[in-house]
Amino acid sequence: MPNYKEIFVKTDKCTGCLTCKIACAVEHSETKSLFSAIRESPGPVSRVYVEWLPGNVKVPVLCRHCEDAPCLNACISGAISRSDTNAVITDASKCIGCWTCVMVCPYGVIGRDQTFAKAFRCDRCPDREIPACVGACPTQALVYETVDGFSKTKRKTVSRELLTREGA
Amino acid sequence: METRYLIVGGSAAGMAAAHTIRKKDKTGIITVLSNEETLPYFRPMIPYILTGKKQVSDISLSGTGIFVQPRIDVRTGTIVTSVDPVAKILTTTSGKTWSYDKVLFATGSRPYLPETVKGLDSPGVFSLKTVADAAAMAQRSRNTDHVVLLGGGILNLKAAFALLEKKIKVTLVVYSPEVLSQLMDPEDAFLIRKALDKAGLKIMTGCSADHVVTDADGVCAVALDNGTQIPCRMVCVGKGVIPNTECVRGSAITVDKGILADPFTACSVKDTFAAGDVAVTHDPATGEKTVTALWTNAVDMGICAGLNMAGIPTRYTGTLGIMNATQVAKEPFVAMGRVHTKGRDLETHIDKTDNTYRKIVFNKEGTRLVGALFIGDITHAGMYRYVIREKKPIDRIKSHLIRHTLHYGHFM
Repeated sequence: MPNYKEIFVKTDKCTGCLTCKIACAVEHSETKSLFSAIRESPGPVSRVYVEWLPGNVKVPVLCRHCEDAPCLNACISGAISRSDTNAVITDASKCIGCWTCVMVCPYGVIGRDQTFAKAFRCDRCPDREIPACVGACPTQALVYETVDGFSKTKRKTVSRELLTREGA
Repeated sequence: METRYLIVGGSAAGMAAAHTIRKKDKTGIITVLSNEETLPYFRPMIPYILTGKKQVSDISLSGTGIFVQPRIDVRTGTIVTSVDPVAKILTTTSGKTWSYDKVLFATGSRPYLPETVKGLDSPGVFSLKTVADAAAMAQRSRNTDHVVLLGGGILNLKAAFALLEKKIKVTLVVYSPEVLSQLMDPEDAFLIRKALDKAGLKIMTGCSADHVVTDADGVCAVALDNGTQIPCRMVCVGKGVIPNTECVRGSAITVDKGILADPFTACSVKDTFAAGDVAVTHDPATGEKTVTALWTNAVDMGICAGLNMAGIPTRYTGTLGIMNATQVAKEPFVAMGRVHTKGRDLETHIDKTDNTYRKIVFNKEGTRLVGALFIGDITHAGMYRYVIREKKPIDRIKSHLIRHTLHYGHFM
C-alpha cells in the first residue's frame, strides 16, 4: 500500500493561537480570501477544532481519516468514500444530513452545516500541496507527513533529547 | 480450490460481507442471492424514490463507500426456500440448488402487520421497506389527497415527510402517548413533536386502527378503535419489523425470534453465519440479546461476518438496541443505548433549552454511561456512543459527559 501523507498533531507545540482554524475556514470558503470570506453567508467554518485540557494543554483535533472508518461504514446515502490519496471524504451532493456519521465518529470531528443539512469534515485540502492548517501553523504543531516519515523524525528528536539530557 | 461463499440477502449486511470477503480473499467465488428485483441499493434512501427526487440508479450501492470490490455475483429475484446446512445446499423457489462452502444468512426483516387490524391486505395499504414499495406508493399517491400512517416510528415519519413534500395531507395514528416511543420517553419528544406539528403533520396519539375500510378502488378509510373513521385512499403501516427466518426453519440452524449468532457471527451449525436484521446478537449497553433493524448496525455486523467467513476470527462488539440518528422537520436527534428512564432506577441528567434537549443516562450506581439522547444539538454524539459501547471508565470524564463539554482530548 502506498505511503500516504497524513496530518499529525504535536500537542506540546500548540500554543492555541487558532491560526489553523482561520486558515481552514478560509480554504473552505467560497472566495478563499479572508477579507471576502468573512462577509459570506453562511459564514465559512473551520474543520479543525482546538480543545483545552487542564494544565493549559491545547489539543488540535481533526478527522483522522481512520483506516477502518466508522463513518464510511455507517453512511446510509453513499456520500462517504475513500479518496485516491487515502482520505475519507464526504460528497456534499450525496449527503442527506441524516447525521449517522456524527453519531458514530469517536473523535467528534464531523461538523454539521445546518443551513444546507450537510455533514463536513477535514478533506486534507485536495487542491493544495500542503493542507491549509498545516501551512498556517506558526509553531509546526501540525505536520503533514507519511507515517514512516513522522515516526523517523520523532525517533530522531527523542534520541537527540535523550542525548542532551544525558549531557552528551 | 477456491472457497464458494454464498450470501442470502443483497442489502446492507449481505453486501458489506461480500465486499469484506473480497478484500481478504481475492480468488473465492462470491455469490449473493437477493429476493429483490433491484440490484442492491441504499435502503434508507427510498423515501427519495417516493418523492421522485432520486432514481433507483442514484441510490445504487455499487461503487460507493465500502462497496467497491470487484467480482461479486449478485443474482436478483432469487428467493431461497430451504437450506441443508449439513449437505451445504440451498434451494430456491425455482427448484434450483446452490452448493457452498460457507453461507451467510442476511435475509433482513419485513414489516410487521398486526393481525388485529383487519384489511391490511387491501390495495392501497403499504409499508415503506423496498424500492418496489416506494415506487408503488408513488404510483398510488397520484390519486390520493390524504394518507393515514399507522405507527409513529422513524420509518413512518420519513414516509410522512416524503408525502407532505408531494403536497398530500398526512395523518399519523400513534398508539403510544407520543411519536418515536421506541427511541425516547414521551416527555423527551416535545421538541420533535413541536417541529412535526409546525411542519403540518396531523398526529393522533393514544389510538390505533381497528380495520381498513375498502371500496372498489381499495382503501377508502381507516376505522379507529375510538369509533372515528378517517377517509383516505392510502395507508402506510410502520409498526416495526420481523426477521425473515423462513428459509432456515426446519433446518438444524437455531432460530429464536431471529437466527442466533454467536460473538463471532456464526450460527449453530458449522460454516453458517448470520448478520443484519435477521440476526440475534447482544446489546453492549444492557447485556441482553437483541435484534435491531438499522442500516448502520447491519453493515457493521456484515463486515464482521465477512471477516469471520474469510477466515479472520473477529469478535462482534454487539449492537446497541437503540441507536439512531436522523433529522425530522429540521430537528436533528440522536438516541443511543438506554434512553427510556421513566420509572427506572437509573441516574439521569436532563438539560433543556428552548431549542435543545439532552438526556444523559448512567447506571444506577452512576459508574457507567448507558444511554444518551440529544435533540437539537447532536455535537460530539459519537464520543458518547464510544463511551457507552466500549464501557469506558468515566470517573475522570463524568462531569464533562453531563455538562456536554467532553472532547477528544479527554481520552488522551
